[in-house]
Amino acid sequence: MRILFILLIVFQSNSLKADEINYLLKIPNLKTFSLNNENGIKYLIAKKNFKIGVQNNISCDKLEKKNLDNKFSLIKRNLDLYDNIFLKKINLRFIVLCQNLYISKINTAGIPDLKKRTLILDLEFNEKYFERVIHHEVFHLIQGSFPEIFNEEAWSNLNKKGFKYADCSTCTDKLGLDIYKNTDGFLTEYSKTIPSEDMAEVYSFYVTDKENLEKIKKIDPIIFKKAEYIETKIKKINNL
Amino acid sequence: MIKKIKASMGEKILFIFLILLAITSFVFFYTIKNKCLFIDKIDLKKINFPNKSNIVIMNVECGMVIIELLPNLSPNSVERFKFFVSNGDYDGSSFYRVIKNTLLQAGDLEFGNIENIDYFKVGSGKSKLGPINSEIDSQFEFNAGSVGLVRGDEFNTEDSEFFILLKNVPLFKGEYTPIGKVIYGLDALTKIKSSDKTEYVLRPDFLSDLKLLEQYN
Repeated sequence: MRILFILLIVFQSNSLKADEINYLLKIPNLKTFSLNNENGIKYLIAKKNFKIGVQNNISCDKLEKKNLDNKFSLIKRNLDLYDNIFLKKINLRFIVLCQNLYISKINTAGIPDLKKRTLILDLEFNEKYFERVIHHEVFHLIQGSFPEIFNEEAWSNLNKKGFKYADCSTCTDKLGLDIYKNTDGFLTEYSKTIPSEDMAEVYSFYVTDKENLEKIKKIDPIIFKKAEYIETKIKKINNL
Repeated sequence: MIKKIKASMGEKILFIFLILLAITSFVFFYTIKNKCLFIDKIDLKKINFPNKSNIVIMNVECGMVIIELLPNLSPNSVERFKFFVSNGDYDGSSFYRVIKNTLLQAGDLEFGNIENIDYFKVGSGKSKLGPINSEIDSQFEFNAGSVGLVRGDEFNTEDSEFFILLKNVPLFKGEYTPIGKVIYGLDALTKIKSSDKTEYVLRPDFLSDLKLLEQYN
């Protein structure tokens, strides 16, 4: 038994270096970047590459200074839209900034973790829509914190009869984030993957491009219903 | 006939140098071996505690550690901690998780005691009282000497385990239930066994006993 414990320690010592951030978040190789923010968000950055999760299936690389310099103010400006009370409700406290974020070898913009109240963000993901992507990922925390409010079946019923989402968000190659010229119930190609991604896409437009969303609502009755659904539910959370 | 050869000046100097080196090594070896050499001893009689009922005393290999509990911040957690202390439940508890110069964790009553340490299960033990709710004080600064209750990934999972910080960790503010502060003897805790590469310690150090000042003779 003792030999096995020694092997466990040797294995662990190769994979991570103990520090207080890893103690709290179970993510190695991070350093604090900005802690004293009005809404309580604490920003951490990857000082080295890290791997976490089941069989280390989540990986992200050390954040380059140029990416931090270019993107941090934009990230902060967007997350400052949420106040401390709302962030507590949706279980968001820590933002981990890194680059080349992969989950099971699939590049992703962000990974939310409700239990640890953490959102990992890839600062190199999709330059064009990066700002919108932040809110898309925040929505996953909102929905995860209030699954009973964001009912996926009710949401699916807002679509045209006969439409079927994919089995999972990565089960399809429809990953485009460009807004459709003819929306027809979906703002982007990625909206068609699964209900939660569709909701997250509508929410991200609701926060970052409300003006455009209002125009689309006038000509697309399904988007109208979806946008109203999101707005009503967010107001409900605000009033809790 | 044996011819006597006189040592040259260089050989004499080398000889003296080797003797001095041996003496220095000998003294140095014993100094290093005694890890508690430079730890000041605490004399309880010389300390005037304003509120004796909130003082607990921990004895570790290198000396005494005095902790002032903070019932005003975390009344339920402090009450729970005092219950275990007064029962002697922490006596022989291992510092099985140590982040060098940063944090010590102990208090697993089920799998972390010197009498029953289980290297596979230590850290997952439960007390017979079950978990209690977190008492988070968003203003409490977790500085060197702060004592907090350990929790799982989620809040409201605190039980018997506690940690003591060896340095300021602002990141912990609002994350853990603070139960006290080391007011004397933090140096003795810096000598607790740790590893450079991992936070889990093989053959860890143990605290000898943890008592309320009122129980101390």
